[in-house]
Amino acid sequence: MLTFAFRKLLTLVGTMIGIAALTFLITNVAPGDPARLVAGPNATEDMVATIRSEYGLDKSLPEQFSVYMGDLARGDLGTSIVTTRPVLEEVMRYAPATLELVFVAMFLGIIVGVPLGMLSAVYKDGPLDHVTRIFSISGVALPAFWFGIILQLMFAVDLGWLPVSGRLPLVTRPPEFYTGLLLVDSLISGRFSTFWTSLQHIILPAIVLSFPCLASILRVNRAEMIEVLQSDYIVAARAHGIASYRIVALYALKNAMLPTLAMIGLRFGWMLGSTVLVETVFDWPGIGLYAVSSALSSDFKPVVGVTLMIGFFFIVANTLVDLAYAWIDPRLRRA
Amino acid sequence: MTEPLLDIKDYRLHIATFDGAVHVLKGINLTVNRGDTLGIVGESGSGKTVLVRSVLGIGPRNSKVLQGSIAFDGQDITHLSEKDWTKIRGIRISMIFQDPMTYLNPLFTVGRQIADVIAAHEKAAVNGVSSKAARRTRTEELLDQVGLPNPSMLFSQYPHQLSGGMRQRVLIAMALAGRPDILIADEPTTALDVTVQAQVLDLINSLVEKLNLTVIMISHDIGAIATIAKRCAVMYKGEIVEQGLTSDILNRPQHEYTQRLLAAVPDIDAAAEKLPAEPAATEPAKPGILLEAIDLKKVYRSQSGAEFTAVNSLSLSVKTGEIFGVVGESGSGKSTLARMLLSLIEPTSGDVIFDGTNITGLAGEPLRQMRRHMQFVFQNPHSALNGRHTIGDAIGEPLRIQTSMSRRDIEARAEALLDIVQLPKSFKYRYPHELSGGQKQRVCIARAIALNPRLLILDEPTSALDISVQAQVLDFLQELRSELGLTYVFISHNLAVIRQICDRTIVMKHGEIVEQGRTENVFLAPREAYTQALIESGRKTSQAATLRPGS
Repeated sequence: MLTFAFRKLLTLVGTMIGIAALTFLITNVAPGDPARLVAGPNATEDMVATIRSEYGLDKSLPEQFSVYMGDLARGDLGTSIVTTRPVLEEVMRYAPATLELVFVAMFLGIIVGVPLGMLSAVYKDGPLDHVTRIFSISGVALPAFWFGIILQLMFAVDLGWLPVSGRLPLVTRPPEFYTGLLLVDSLISGRFSTFWTSLQHIILPAIVLSFPCLASILRVNRAEMIEVLQSDYIVAARAHGIASYRIVALYALKNAMLPTLAMIGLRFGWMLGSTVLVETVFDWPGIGLYAVSSALSSDFKPVVGVTLMIGFFFIVANTLVDLAYAWIDPRLRRA
Repeated sequence: MTEPLLDIKDYRLHIATFDGAVHVLKGINLTVNRGDTLGIVGESGSGKTVLVRSVLGIGPRNSKVLQGSIAFDGQDITHLSEKDWTKIRGIRISMIFQDPMTYLNPLFTVGRQIADVIAAHEKAAVNGVSSKAARRTRTEELLDQVGLPNPSMLFSQYPHQLSGGMRQRVLIAMALAGRPDILIADEPTTALDVTVQAQVLDLINSLVEKLNLTVIMISHDIGAIATIAKRCAVMYKGEIVEQGLTSDILNRPQHEYTQRLLAAVPDIDAAAEKLPAEPAATEPAKPGILLEAIDLKKVYRSQSGAEFTAVNSLSLSVKTGEIFGVVGESGSGKSTLARMLLSLIEPTSGDVIFDGTNITGLAGEPLRQMRRHMQFVFQNPHSALNGRHTIGDAIGEPLRIQTSMSRRDIEARAEALLDIVQLPKSFKYRYPHELSGGQKQRVCIARAIALNPRLLILDEPTSALDISVQAQVLDFLQELRSELGLTYVFISHNLAVIRQICDRTIVMKHGEIVEQGRTENVFLAPREAYTQALIESGRKTSQAATLRPGS
């Protein structure tokens, strides 16, 4: 198991280097002279040349690449042109908001999706199964920006139960910084009212973000459960007198979780990518919003930084899924 | 006289299907007394599994009891609630299954699975659940009882780390966890190697004595039934056609079906009444050798770098028109060999020569052309057919891939093929699940001969089939050979079958040939100790069935 984990970590490093190389390539293939862009429309040729040498853009591509990789290794993602601050610092500032949103959405997706999938399989073709089928189809079909706006209109504007947007009201002082996740930090510093407010803020965007993910988890889990429930070892477990609920919730679920986990890993990456839309609708100060505003002002370093960041978390999530696989399935541990 | 332990009276059951109700059990009357050992013989589809599963209340979904009752120890259990079942199922009546590979959950340790069963029983008995340590001790006792070495180590092992025989023992241990009155064994040896079969039967016999168990064993293997059961019932199409003492039934079968069944058992000690090899009708392109393997080797490498040699420097030659037997236990490399002969997997080294052409290096179109001449029939006809294609589609598939025949021609050819394999033409509209095992295997054979191949490689083509069906398929294969001038490579672990049909045979062990020669010579005068042991254990299970006079 340990060698398995170690090998997975090595793969993680390898993939990370691959992603870095790829983002470098894409930024260099993209049309336009970055130096001219930085210098602005009124710059003279001299200024552009200065900037070019300042940023090392006059060097050969392999040289630039080694400088870029060297900077990355030291954690230097470059400097944002608009804010003139290091990109890493900014990404680190915005990342917790996004991660918090993704975690809560994922949590919702799993705790709702897995049991519903399980129940739909047990009561296959029953009323519940039909309801969850409609539910999951709409989950995949509804566009996030539309669904988000509808929820805002209903729960925030009409009913007034929940705030429309943002992470915390302007008047609320954020809790002390431990993890950057407001829900966690407010609990650590014992400020339960802040916890409650931030929970109210996060609930709508989390639902919007989690809906498609929930739907696919539900469907995968249902299909897999149906398959597993027909397998021989489930018949054997029944014959040996093990109670039905235990068979379903323990024996069958564990077997059905394997493909579901793969779906969860994939959806995690997808969610990080689609926060861009949700964050825009809910004015959520995360890396999605940061990337959009940077891209609009032709500020490329932050976009690259955010891409790397998302890539990093995606790989980490999938490595965790791989490890969970091995933890669940003993047959994989030797591989 | 004491009341019987299990009393089944005029039990009728049907299963609702898409095409209407199918009467699966038609008035079963059966009594089992305490200490009895009852064998139920019958082919697949005869209703024997449905019958014993009904005794455990785990019958198929959509099934409905029309009439009759099942009483266990004086209590009517025909329509028991799920809650009441928990007091009986697995505790007073328990069951072991056919395939130990699939009846254990791969994700839980052996110990956990048995301990869970113990906990479930304690819960049902409302005596409170014992401690984890107590359950572990009891589990290890059970593992020891079924003759497994080193129970404490075994406790934390997973099913995939055990051999087939060990898994079957684990399942038996699980079934014994509740100290049951009745043990139902559903084909407990079918999926095991011959040498292991004998061991598992010995174990069941010793448990019957030690624990005073009542055993109901289902099998299509009459040898296995004779080893275990004092009494025996023969089922045919949902009815019990004959019951009585096993020795009586074997010696003086009354019902026509039983007679047929007994006649179909291949006898390991009987010389084959084979059609002569190389029938005159065939005219091989080049007389002599059709398929040759030279120094064939396959090494598998696991990710951790460990090497496993599945087939080691093996050479053989198959003559045109003969049936070439390959015998060996599971893991001996038979299937790897077969797949290499067909270029389905690449050998690590060595060559395969088919009709004078070296096919090892072939790829793409030339290989595809070559495939027309060599076809494969798989072991398990249930998984070799795509469940979503009709039989007509399945048979027509090689024609669609390899020829430019029109739809109509393909359809006509598929009908002709169904005719050759003696199935009605209307079958082309059916789906695989509507066919029995034997019928499916015939369809697989029809598909394999669709392109008029010259060589058929058959990987255990009968081991998933019932005995009487097996006999039919074997006869049919021999007929087909003389009709179409085919050459077979026939792989099997069943020695009696090999002896019945093969001209020459090789015996494989650990990827190497330990013995080869004309089949009769191998059987009558085996030179190697391994071959002798194999024949001996094969004889043990088939012996009982040959008690009958006249064989």
